[in-house]
Amino acid sequence: MFCFTDLYEHVYNMIHRSATSISQDVRKLLELALSHESNATAKSMLSAMLMNEEMAREKEKPLCQSPGFPTVYVSFGNRSIPCCDLKKVWSDAIIEGTNNQLLRPSMVHPLTRDNSGDNSGPGVPNFEFDYIPDQEYLEMLVSFKGCGAELANAMQIFTVAKLERDNDYAGLKRWVLDTVIKGGGKPCPPGGIGIGIGGQMDVACKLARKAISTRTWDDHNPDPMYDVLEQELLENINRLGIGPAGTGGDTTLLAVKIGAVSTHTAIVPLAISFHCWAARRAGIRLYPDGRKETIL
Amino acid sequence: MAEKILNIPLKKEEIRALRVGDVVYLNGPIFTSRDMGHFMIKKYLEENRPLPVEFEGSAIFHAGPVVKKKEDGGYDLVVIGPTTSIRMEPYHKMVADLGVRAIIGKGGLGDGSLKQFQEYGQVYFQAPPGCAVLLSEGIANIEDVHWLELGVPEALWVLAAVNFGPLVVGMDSHGVSIYKELEEKAKKRREEIYR
Repeated sequence: MFCFTDLYEHVYNMIHRSATSISQDVRKLLELALSHESNATAKSMLSAMLMNEEMAREKEKPLCQSPGFPTVYVSFGNRSIPCCDLKKVWSDAIIEGTNNQLLRPSMVHPLTRDNSGDNSGPGVPNFEFDYIPDQEYLEMLVSFKGCGAELANAMQIFTVAKLERDNDYAGLKRWVLDTVIKGGGKPCPPGGIGIGIGGQMDVACKLARKAISTRTWDDHNPDPMYDVLEQELLENINRLGIGPAGTGGDTTLLAVKIGAVSTHTAIVPLAISFHCWAARRAGIRLYPDGRKETIL
Repeated sequence: MAEKILNIPLKKEEIRALRVGDVVYLNGPIFTSRDMGHFMIKKYLEENRPLPVEFEGSAIFHAGPVVKKKEDGGYDLVVIGPTTSIRMEPYHKMVADLGVRAIIGKGGLGDGSLKQFQEYGQVYFQAPPGCAVLLSEGIANIEDVHWLELGVPEALWVLAAVNFGPLVVGMDSHGVSIYKELEEKAKKRREEIYR
């Protein structure tokens, strides 16, 4: 039976690409935001971001000094199984990327704060595996998500009363906007937020991170109800005036993405995962016949 | 909104002349310090040990660089940009007492800092976030490093700034914080959108 080996070069190239550029869907949204912005400071912040991204790509330097924390999303099917030590491949490639100054050594012991010096460490990178029996390809998507943004994150188990279902979910909407206001300039706006809904605490948090990390920011939610909610929240958040870098303007977020699953009748688990504007991510699909497709 | 070039060490009058929204470029030595760096300063002060640098008139940059070690043992700067400043809010009094005039970072500091900026004559500069390559153009070289045992991000790096910026005054010494103003406005607007 076929299985994938020799993935190191693919993996290293993804790390190089995601450290030195942002995904182009986000770049396009930044350009669009710049063309619509009315605030002078906001315009100069957006111009700086676009120029910085261009310089990073040209000079092959990390566009942000902080690599954030990496999560790798892997999915495979019965005929597209990886049979190398994928965790070791990623860990080794991250260490090489660190030694080549693509990634700052930033991984530390969570309590003592001792720095490993090369971004190695238990749980680095984080992996989310998904098995989809009929999937023809092996998909790998890495997301280096900044940690200033993590400081703004929120998680709550709402009660059904707090959701205000019969008031057009006003409870949920207020909470989302209040969380964005509280975040202010800290999560490096204008980025995106992922909203995880359902499951239990762990599920909602993972859905939030995955929604904003893996979806293209100009896409639409396939579920019409969530699509409408995403657009409404995005529009209203951008009326708050927080702006790029949190110093005022019309562009506070570029995207709101919802990931949702069923939950228990007693609870409404909600999580918000902030993403900075620096959407450093790369995704590929590898087919058994040798084809390679770049998805992000 | 004025555009100014200032030299480090910074004078109190120069800082008092700045208003929220002004754009500033800096020349001279800039010190990086973040969570563990501030913790070390506190520890040294408590133990009455001499600090490795002179903070009077200085600019502290909430940042941790990407560096490359040179053959002679020194370091080249690869890139550097701001980290989220609010984590350093608990140290605002200590930083003011040291004579630090300017704090560079992103996202702003809290009410404690704002009050102190008025009293002591300090300022907060917002650097463009996530713009490490662009900002590095304003650093000529790394002059020195202290406390490297804390790891590369947390060490105290001495950077030679040459027209380092653009930095926007986010909090001035007259009690104005752009972050606070915007937060209050946003809260009101939120009330209008979803009651």
